[in-house]
Amino acid sequence: MVANPSLVLNKIDDISFETYEAPEITESTDVIVEVKKTGICGSDIHYYAHGKIGHFVLTKPMVLGHESSGIVTQVGKGVTSLKVGDKVAIEPGIPSRFSDAYKSGHYNLCPHMSFAATPNSTEGEPNPPGTLCKYFKSPEDFLVKLPDHVSLELGAMVEPLTVGVHASRLGSVKFGDIVAVFGAGPVGLLTAAVAKSFGAAAVIVIDIFDNKLQMAKDIGAATHTFNSKTGGDYKALIAAFDGQEPNVVLECTGAEPCINTGVNILAQGGRFVQVGNAPGPVKFPITEFATKELTLFGSFRYGYGDYKTAVSILDANYKNGKDKAPIDFEALITHRFDFKDAIKAYDLVRAGSGAVKCIISGPE
Amino acid sequence: MNTNESLVLNKIDDISFQFLETPTITNPNDVIVQVKKTGICGSDIHFYAHGGFGYFRLNKPMVLGHESSGVVVEVGNEVKSLKVGDKVAIEPGVPSRFSDAYKSGHYNLCPHMVFAATPNLDINGPSAPGTLCKYFKSPEDFLVKLPDHLSLELGALVEPLSVGVHACKIGSVKFGDIVVVFGAGPVGLLAASTAKKFGATKVMVVDVVESKLEMALRLNMATHVFNSKNGTLDEMIKELGQRPNVVLECSGAEVCIQSGVHVLAPGGRFIQVGNTTGPASFPITEFATKELTLFGSFRYGFDDYKTGVALLDANYKDGEDKAGINYLGLITHRFKFKDAIEAYDLVRAGKSVKCIIDGPE
Repeated sequence: MVANPSLVLNKIDDISFETYEAPEITESTDVIVEVKKTGICGSDIHYYAHGKIGHFVLTKPMVLGHESSGIVTQVGKGVTSLKVGDKVAIEPGIPSRFSDAYKSGHYNLCPHMSFAATPNSTEGEPNPPGTLCKYFKSPEDFLVKLPDHVSLELGAMVEPLTVGVHASRLGSVKFGDIVAVFGAGPVGLLTAAVAKSFGAAAVIVIDIFDNKLQMAKDIGAATHTFNSKTGGDYKALIAAFDGQEPNVVLECTGAEPCINTGVNILAQGGRFVQVGNAPGPVKFPITEFATKELTLFGSFRYGYGDYKTAVSILDANYKNGKDKAPIDFEALITHRFDFKDAIKAYDLVRAGSGAVKCIISGPE
Repeated sequence: MNTNESLVLNKIDDISFQFLETPTITNPNDVIVQVKKTGICGSDIHFYAHGGFGYFRLNKPMVLGHESSGVVVEVGNEVKSLKVGDKVAIEPGVPSRFSDAYKSGHYNLCPHMVFAATPNLDINGPSAPGTLCKYFKSPEDFLVKLPDHLSLELGALVEPLSVGVHACKIGSVKFGDIVVVFGAGPVGLLAASTAKKFGATKVMVVDVVESKLEMALRLNMATHVFNSKNGTLDEMIKELGQRPNVVLECSGAEVCIQSGVHVLAPGGRFIQVGNTTGPASFPITEFATKELTLFGSFRYGFDDYKTGVALLDANYKDGEDKAGINYLGLITHRFKFKDAIEAYDLVRAGKSVKCIIDGPE
């Protein structure tokens, strides 16, 4: 038995280190990855503090983590695109290969999705394992090879970056678009970075914290910023955007005032993508929405082609070296921890102490 | 010359007959139509009873009516597609020919739209005249010729029918779709009929009034009906046999908007047609988790009127008896022009489905 040291959430407020059995190749397309870098996501913190998100309820211990990169250590006989030693980004959600959602090109909506570190409350069925462990098994087609010049740390950012890719593709963000992004957390910042990479002519990032807005500008993701707490109403926002009404809104907060402002600032015929999770129903100005013939796209995780696109964005961004990189993705990583200090990492992020993205190294 | 007998809303609760100026040809593509049939719309009633809704407030007397058909009596000298005596459906909203909205193919969103019987957003500007009068002027391209076998009454239904057409086009309703329509008023029923004509396999109409649901089935405008007062959403889905992939929301009621989100299959499409009175409590996270798409729909745009007439044309080509859908069955009341105020009071009291007023003699 190969030991697999893992970080386990047992129940609310209770994380411990456990040693499980490492996964083995069972299908010819399986790949074993030694996990090297993992980012902490807000959803992990939510399970840590509240034990559930919506109808996903933690009922048994679960390995945490889903934003990871690593190195291939073993490949099944049918694996053709990867070899031992390759650096990969791990796409953590595996759908059923037989569902209508998968067949129709929308595998992210598969009702039988097995998503790392999202609980399965069915009795007798295990939780899908998270990636905060030493060895993780993936099918070949849910791994994306990282180019040599893209680090493993950047590889761990591919997951949240892909959320932004999926949203931007759903909203058909393209060259010349005028984009407003609500929320300057990691998802908002990465989504803004994608919009810029897709050719948006202007990107305004909105939040209530000046330091987050400063980061948006410093990393090159935003051309404009607006503090919606101190800056005024939606008309002031437009003025701060040089008088431009955006034609795309990427809503990454889930906050009711942001959703309403988003509808108010959009130009007629504009597109609104809802990425952020609202804790409950929101008051929504649907008649203004209809009178302007806006379109609202609900966005959930990521699907076919999104992970590859995210890696391509990083590839293109860093191809001339860090100094010439248009967007400073690495600046989002504000804290780094060794695996043995992982619980400290979770407590730091849970305390909301200004961490943007916290990366935990895989076990030695 | 003030020979144009018109029905004028002066202020809340105050409608009178007046003789106003008769329009004349001023541009070579102008057409003068003698208005023959006009349907009453809920928005008229909003002005009558409340003085307006949303941004639109009545601040000076205004001729009512915008759902009309008529007969061409005069044409400008560059009019090619119409001649005197032709029956036409009147598209009552004329945009600016220079706006970005018009140029980009979305003339219904033109900020300078002149829409019949709608107060000018600029309080100093004139109100666009309505169609409840004897003579109405339109540019040639905002009239659609009615085929011989379509009556003028059907011509008056083209306007609300086009609202349904526009909604179905925006939502890409097509062959094989499973559709739920909330609201069994004229707009909901005409949207449901359009979904049927566009090839939807199932069209369920939902309302709380049993007689409206009965009408939907009797006129063949729906394949299924459901009374949401008596049943749960699970029962609605069970009655339909599956989750819909399209919702056409034609009620503007918050509970229906929420229900639409709840019943839609993942990846489904939601078209908002009905007007709410204010913001609606919206289950946006469920919406996002199912990756639904919400399309806002406003009035109608390029080609929608032509499609509306084409739908009626095909429906009635073998005569009323063989017509697949009984559109005429929506017309529950008919009034002469001199009794128009009675007509408005009847509709205001909620006692009709579609009420048609004849043009002045």
